[in-house]
Amino acid sequence: MVNENLVKDVVKEPYKYGFVTDIETEKIAKGLNEEIVRLISQKKEEPKYLLDFRLKAFKKWQKMEEPDWAGLGYKQIDYQDIIYYSAPKQKEKIASLDEVDPKLLETFDKLGIPLTEQKKLTNVAVDAVFDSVSIATTFREELAEHGVIFSSISEAVKNHSNLIEKYLGTVVPASDNYFAALNSAVFSDGSFVYIPKGVTCPMDLSSYFRINSGDSGQFERTLIIAEESSSVSYLEGCTAPMFDTNTLHAAVVELIALDDASIKYSTVQNWYAGDEKGVGGIFNFVTKRGKCLGKRSKISWSQVETGSAITWKYPSCLLLGEESVGEFYSVALTNNLQQADTGTKMIHIGPKTKSTIVSKGISAGNSINSYRGLVKVGAKATGSRNYSQCDSMLIGDQASANTFPYIKSQQPNSEIEHEASTCRISEDQLFYLQSRGIEFEEAISMMVSGFCRDVFNQLPMEFAAEADKLLALKLEGSVG
Amino acid sequence: MEIIEQIKTNKLFENQTEIQKICIDKLQSNPLPNPKSELWRLSNKSKFSNLLDYSINEKDPKFDIPFLNNTQNIIRLVIGEDNKIFLKGENYSIRQLSKNILDEYIKQKISSFDQNEHWSDLLNLSLSCEKNILGLKINGSKIPPIEIFSHASSNSLTAKTLVIFVEKNCDIELLQVNLCEENSSLSQSTFLCLEENSSIFHGVVSYGENKSHLLNSLNVIQQKNSEYKLGSLHFKLDYARFEIRVKQSAGNAKTNIKGMQITKNDEQISTHTKIDFNGPNGFLDQINKSLADDKSHAIFEGSIIVPKIAQKTDASQLSRNLLLSNRAQIDTKPQLEIIADDVKCKHGATISQLNEEELFYMRTRGITLTEASKLQLSSYFQEIISFIPVSKDRWDLLDKLLHEN
Repeated sequence: MVNENLVKDVVKEPYKYGFVTDIETEKIAKGLNEEIVRLISQKKEEPKYLLDFRLKAFKKWQKMEEPDWAGLGYKQIDYQDIIYYSAPKQKEKIASLDEVDPKLLETFDKLGIPLTEQKKLTNVAVDAVFDSVSIATTFREELAEHGVIFSSISEAVKNHSNLIEKYLGTVVPASDNYFAALNSAVFSDGSFVYIPKGVTCPMDLSSYFRINSGDSGQFERTLIIAEESSSVSYLEGCTAPMFDTNTLHAAVVELIALDDASIKYSTVQNWYAGDEKGVGGIFNFVTKRGKCLGKRSKISWSQVETGSAITWKYPSCLLLGEESVGEFYSVALTNNLQQADTGTKMIHIGPKTKSTIVSKGISAGNSINSYRGLVKVGAKATGSRNYSQCDSMLIGDQASANTFPYIKSQQPNSEIEHEASTCRISEDQLFYLQSRGIEFEEAISMMVSGFCRDVFNQLPMEFAAEADKLLALKLEGSVG
Repeated sequence: MEIIEQIKTNKLFENQTEIQKICIDKLQSNPLPNPKSELWRLSNKSKFSNLLDYSINEKDPKFDIPFLNNTQNIIRLVIGEDNKIFLKGENYSIRQLSKNILDEYIKQKISSFDQNEHWSDLLNLSLSCEKNILGLKINGSKIPPIEIFSHASSNSLTAKTLVIFVEKNCDIELLQVNLCEENSSLSQSTFLCLEENSSIFHGVVSYGENKSHLLNSLNVIQQKNSEYKLGSLHFKLDYARFEIRVKQSAGNAKTNIKGMQITKNDEQISTHTKIDFNGPNGFLDQINKSLADDKSHAIFEGSIIVPKIAQKTDASQLSRNLLLSNRAQIDTKPQLEIIADDVKCKHGATISQLNEEELFYMRTRGITLTEASKLQLSSYFQEIISFIPVSKDRWDLLDKLLHEN
């Protein structure tokens, strides 16, 4: 019999990104009304179309109701008790990274994010978002040589207004859902990526999101456009300090892939998850969607979800273009009182479209981990193909693992396959490894990492190593 | 809501039973199922309201029981026929439940109903007058196969209720046939209770004619070491909804379900199953097949619930669907909710059309395309149909019915 307590100890690694950076910030008053929306827009000196977009979204949001179908149990969010804009105070314009507040740089250093360009070894361009604003984007010039635009979305609004106007809200419309409408009304910053025709982005692009203040929500918006025959790999990381209050994070990510373009979007989400009693933690309500507009285009989502008290996230693909491909690879780990309701939507509209879903859920402690996915094959999607696989691993007898796959087909000439299984850490395997001199904890982390291998193989190299470590840390002490 | 008004004003219900009163009360706060809930979301609203549109049946005209040949050694009952039932064989007895026991049992059931989940049962029990509720208690061994018929006549809404207690160490073979005439609605609720070491081999065959509607709810409670096998077939129904709820009250029981629904024209047939493991060592093997043609819509929704107490549960659920026309639609949602960690649970779902390679193979052997498709379909049916307890000599009839369809 495996010693349950021993396993539990293995999972109890303290959250190491829980520090707060003491930095002067500019905040606006709490609450949400039309004035606030106008104020945010004004602070960001936005053109009229964007203000209209925000106001329209805000009006729709007011009429909407918070969704409850996911059955997540959390105390009601008071939307008037949130600060919708918070930015570190700094000089008006930053010419180079040297002018960024050293405290901020220090923060990102502590998080292991290479903002200073000396650290070019990693060859990853980073856009760092601190609370509501983007503070720095690295490698700009080098990217510009290839015609790649990588900047904060506020800058893009100023410099590439035509692209923003053309694409913003085309994948996730303002009225898409409650949280997307909220985001559309108050989004503060985020990343913007534009890959021109025929360009393969020379390096991985990365955004790093950091929530610093306890009472402000984070509402970032990411827009990635890949023109014909271009390709890009984008990484996203998130952390937040430990507060005993809950912070709201409602982001929107929109991807657009034209003919033969490919976008790979990887996330390692490690927001603060609250303590073992469930106090504090981030409420993570994210709408991520990609549109495969062009023929043979491809969008691939891979995610490692380990943080947040509540995760509500369904990265989706709209497969419009002929022979377009959607992929979703996910590892979601929940511990203590975390709740994750995550999955994907693959909407097959165009003919010969293909999608693959691989989801691995690990639930430990008293957590609830649900996979909720939709595969929909429309009447015109002849010759479409979907394969889904959802595996759950249960650690301890208090955690719950649920699978809710929704499958809908209107096209006889298509094939849909779904399979799901549940397992636990097998004592035989554990015994085998231990008898070979592998320590208990290491054996467990080997088994978990083996369970997640299909997904880790899809992550970019740096992320895969990080994810492996992250899972091992998160799981320390919880296997039984 | 009209249906409740109709019940209240109906002459038949002047002398409402206590059960009817309780159910009508419950329905009043919840006159229609919540269309937003997962259980009812996909239900075709206009078809569903058609179901409720017929006036409540006041008389039960005689009807012809299908496949009458060879009735030897079969116990045949029709719900609603005003007979006292007491059958005694050498080793067994089948007796009608006394009114008190029956009422007590149903009341206890109603108290545990979730209004949305058991909406069909609440409607059924509000409509079922006393003579349309049949309660049986069965014990002994070597019991001949039992057939129970429910029938809805044209232009009416009929409700029938069946309650069966199968006592310890008793094995029965039960075939339930639900028949709907043209332009009719049938509401059938069945409550089966399997005591320790008992087993039921249960078949449910439901079919109708033009514009027939069916609400079929099946509630099964399994005690320790009981075995429940169900083979079901629903076809030729404009709107049908088959709800199966099985609860293994103390685990250690076996459940085996094979169901099939065939939809054509613009029919909608749905199957909703909920298997609740309330104890350790439960076993479930379930397969549901759908076949959708023309503009029809087939729905399968299955949930398996494994709470903490249900360690060592072994459950598998498979949903296999054939989509034969590009105007037809299939929705399937097999789902797992698991808390116990030492369990083996899996589910799968596939949607596809007839296998082209197999068709090609047969055609190279000189079999025409139509014949080849028929062959393939009948092999697809075979797995389910062979699981329905119908004695061999009448089997051809069922086969014929299927082919006519």
